[in-house]
Amino acid sequence: MNTSDSEEEFYNERTALVSSESPTMATYTQDSQLPGPADTETKEGASSRLARGTAEREPAVESEDEELTLKYGAKHVIMLFVPVTLCMVVVVATIKSVSFYTEKNGQQLIYTPFTEDTPSVGQRLLNSVLNTIIMISVIVVMTIFLVVLYKYRCYKFIHGWLILSSLMLLFWFSFMYLGEVFKTYNVAMDYPTLVMIIWNFGAVGMICIHWKGPLQLQQAYLIVISALMALVFIKYLPEWSAWVILGAISVYDLIAVLSPKGPLRMLVETAQERNEPIFPALIYSCKRTIEYSLPVSEGTVSLPFSDEETPQSNGEGLERSQEEPENQAFMGRNRTYSAEEEEERGVKLGLGDFIFYSVLVGKAAATGGDWNTTLACFVAILIGLCLTLLLLAIFKKALPALPISITFGLVFYFSTDNLVRPFMDSLAAHQFYI
Amino acid sequence: MNLERVPNEEKLNLCRKYYLGGFAFLPFLWLVNVVWFFREAFVKPPYTEQQHIKTYVKRSALGLLLWVAALTTWITIFQHFRAQWGEVADYLSFTIPLGIP
Repeated sequence: MNTSDSEEEFYNERTALVSSESPTMATYTQDSQLPGPADTETKEGASSRLARGTAEREPAVESEDEELTLKYGAKHVIMLFVPVTLCMVVVVATIKSVSFYTEKNGQQLIYTPFTEDTPSVGQRLLNSVLNTIIMISVIVVMTIFLVVLYKYRCYKFIHGWLILSSLMLLFWFSFMYLGEVFKTYNVAMDYPTLVMIIWNFGAVGMICIHWKGPLQLQQAYLIVISALMALVFIKYLPEWSAWVILGAISVYDLIAVLSPKGPLRMLVETAQERNEPIFPALIYSCKRTIEYSLPVSEGTVSLPFSDEETPQSNGEGLERSQEEPENQAFMGRNRTYSAEEEEERGVKLGLGDFIFYSVLVGKAAATGGDWNTTLACFVAILIGLCLTLLLLAIFKKALPALPISITFGLVFYFSTDNLVRPFMDSLAAHQFYI
Repeated sequence: MNLERVPNEEKLNLCRKYYLGGFAFLPFLWLVNVVWFFREAFVKPPYTEQQHIKTYVKRSALGLLLWVAALTTWITIFQHFRAQWGEVADYLSFTIPLGIP
């Protein structure tokens, strides 16, 4: 089975960190006299208006607001730690126990056509760079396509694509996953029970993600599909290409979200102008005190993954391509999404971010020497996430979630694997404790 | 979504849709219905739609119990008699364990 094409698309969409409500809310409150949620910015806006008459109150109000911003920021960091950790734990547990995902049988995605089975190191490096270039360009094309679709209001198309993606992800990939888990644990499973399990899991997942469902269940499903996607990537990306792709996609993320003409930024801005929530199933949101839940924007984890999966079927070429842009675009969108949901308080993180973080930690678990490397990468990603959220609280606009975390993750992976591990091994060999 | 912010008619509507959806061989949906609307149906102070929500939750719970009983019975039978059934069991099996049972 060749997983495929659309996976890339997923990347794009998913890797977006949606800033918390703070940034967009601020602009919103300044523009209109919205009561809105008790957002810090809202308060700030309202209070500063009030305080015009009473100038002396302003400093006190502002410092209070700042304190609230920081407090909310800290809460958001904690709120995001749990899902990111859970996703990574699922991926690492699967990698360590089910050998299917670490076996390389020569199958590759069509996005990475160059093989890494070459005689020389230089050739291998060249192939991995070429693979990365192809992958990134596919992602860029898809993102732009998605932005164009969004700008011209082809909502039905986008929705159809997303639904197909999530169908693929929820049914096909989980079927594969269950099959491998049962084989690993040597459990007999019959088709009727299996059909019931997959059908229930998939159908309730579709309902929760695309329609209405309990928030925790929706979050759980998003985490599960991110983990499934990450596992597929870990299996089908060749070794060196995976690392180079991780690096390249963080750079792309940075450019796409921050530069004025970046597709993701345009997507977010268009969504903000139209005051619409980002499509569901592309972002994970941790809501806290929800005053009023807007339908789409709530915690949707991007389903960019699903897009990738759909390529599996032969006739889906067209659909896949469609999904891809969405994925990419959504990732960006997810980032800035929070502004649109004025009543939601909670930071949103794109599903792509979950996926790539898990890919990094999963690869460290699969190919790194031992648990030191895996733990180091895990800690690095969490630190990067903290820093990103801190920046989010300071700048109050959509930010890319990948660059800082992935950079730390890559640095920690390579340094732990090559420096710390031999050091610890020699210390243990000589029974020298520090 | 948070049920706190949703008006009562919508809650009833949602509960009923989940209840009806469960008939499509989806006991998991019934489970979600029971867990999600349990507080609404039994813990909250009464309101007009609560009676209907209670009925739906109770029926979902009943359906769920029936499905759990049926599935448990089937799984027990299958696991116990799988080796004895020979070819039919292999035809029904998705994964067949390796090694000596």
